[in-house]
Amino acid sequence: MGDDVVLVIVVATALAFGFTNGFHDTANVIGTSLSTKAMSPRMAVAYTSILNFAGAFISLEVAATIAEDVIDAGGISPTVVFAGVIGAIAWNLITWYWGLPSSSSHALIGGVVGSTLAAVGTGAVLADGLVGDVLVPAVVAPMVAFLIGGVAIALVYRIVGGMRPGPVTRGFRLGQTAMGGLLAVAHGTNDAQKTMGAITLALIANGTLAEGAEVPFWVVVSAAVAIALGTYSGGWRIIRRIGMRVVKMDAAQGFTAQGAGSAVILASSYVGFPLSTTQVISGAVMGAGAGRRLSPARWGLATNIALAWLVTLPAAAAIGAAAYGATRAFGTGALGPVVVTVIAVVLVVAAFARRARHGAPIPAG
Amino acid sequence: MRALVSLVDMDALVESVAAAVVAGVGVIVAFSLAVYGAARFADERRTGASGSATFAAAVTLVALAACAIAVGVGIVIIVSDRV
Repeated sequence: MGDDVVLVIVVATALAFGFTNGFHDTANVIGTSLSTKAMSPRMAVAYTSILNFAGAFISLEVAATIAEDVIDAGGISPTVVFAGVIGAIAWNLITWYWGLPSSSSHALIGGVVGSTLAAVGTGAVLADGLVGDVLVPAVVAPMVAFLIGGVAIALVYRIVGGMRPGPVTRGFRLGQTAMGGLLAVAHGTNDAQKTMGAITLALIANGTLAEGAEVPFWVVVSAAVAIALGTYSGGWRIIRRIGMRVVKMDAAQGFTAQGAGSAVILASSYVGFPLSTTQVISGAVMGAGAGRRLSPARWGLATNIALAWLVTLPAAAAIGAAAYGATRAFGTGALGPVVVTVIAVVLVVAAFARRARHGAPIPAG
Repeated sequence: MRALVSLVDMDALVESVAAAVVAGVGVIVAFSLAVYGAARFADERRTGASGSATFAAAVTLVALAACAIAVGVGIVIIVSDRV
């Protein structure tokens, strides 16, 4: 009975993570469309939410990587997954509060690795999966997106450079509507699977599923709903930072950034790499904007974003480990997860209330 | 460095990078040709050059078809490989 209560709490917490993932990350997906005025904010949010939902159904490779290749599910309990997800949610909300676009994906993996280290030491952390499937792609993917964005925009300007700007801008804005949709599908494909992976990891750890079992359909549907609702709820602070402040783009650059981001995320989803879509999109935006000189203030923002990425894994790991310690302080039953959940909900509500009173956290520039 | 390489599934990494570069640059360039063709079509039609306008329209249609096929094939490949 106690195990079942813990499992229900883990599933609910993982879905809450999926919601915050949509809330936190997906704004980046529509930032480029808003920056170039290809879509209105209201339409972009609704359109992206629907396509995020659809994207969740096209692949399960990333979910399999999260559930099987990073942590040995047989060596942990659902409480460990719970603490890891709490670490990820806490880090997502901290970075949301300060308007920093860090990676939800790395927060989840960092949180679960941290809680696993606190619970059972290094024995249950699969180093080859962590390095080969997460850390190396995390470094390579934004660079590839930057490269594609930079090479493609050079070719685009060669092709349309001599044409009248009016029709060209209209053409690329139309293209952004379609490519923005593809980017939303790509984001849904990679990011919704992280929630699916966390739930599946908990189900395996609980003995409800056998190791190597397929992700249950109810998990796919619930993760898709969670990320779509999170997206719809919006993350306007982060939109402003990525889409409008780091690089001011024209429509061709916006289209190119979306295309480069989509290509990298979809190709990585195909082979099962759980990428930070935030990092990939930012790399693509930087690549497509590389033809324009960035002001020192803009480079300063980019540096802040890079620093947020660097600290995400260790910070989420530390919070995940602390959450595990707090949970175990109440014993091995369901009481610990219940108490930690209540504390987390109170802190989240307080953060939202404080942010609502004080307005947007992003300084001008 | 060798130890790091031994932890990475190089085949999957190279496959994903190659697919992303080819598909990403290819679709973006194809759509740019479509935009070029559409803009050129409008200009040529205004000046009454019907032959050039027809060619520009054909470039647009072929380029848009190439984009749609590339995206469609990509999605089908991902879906068909679903575990």
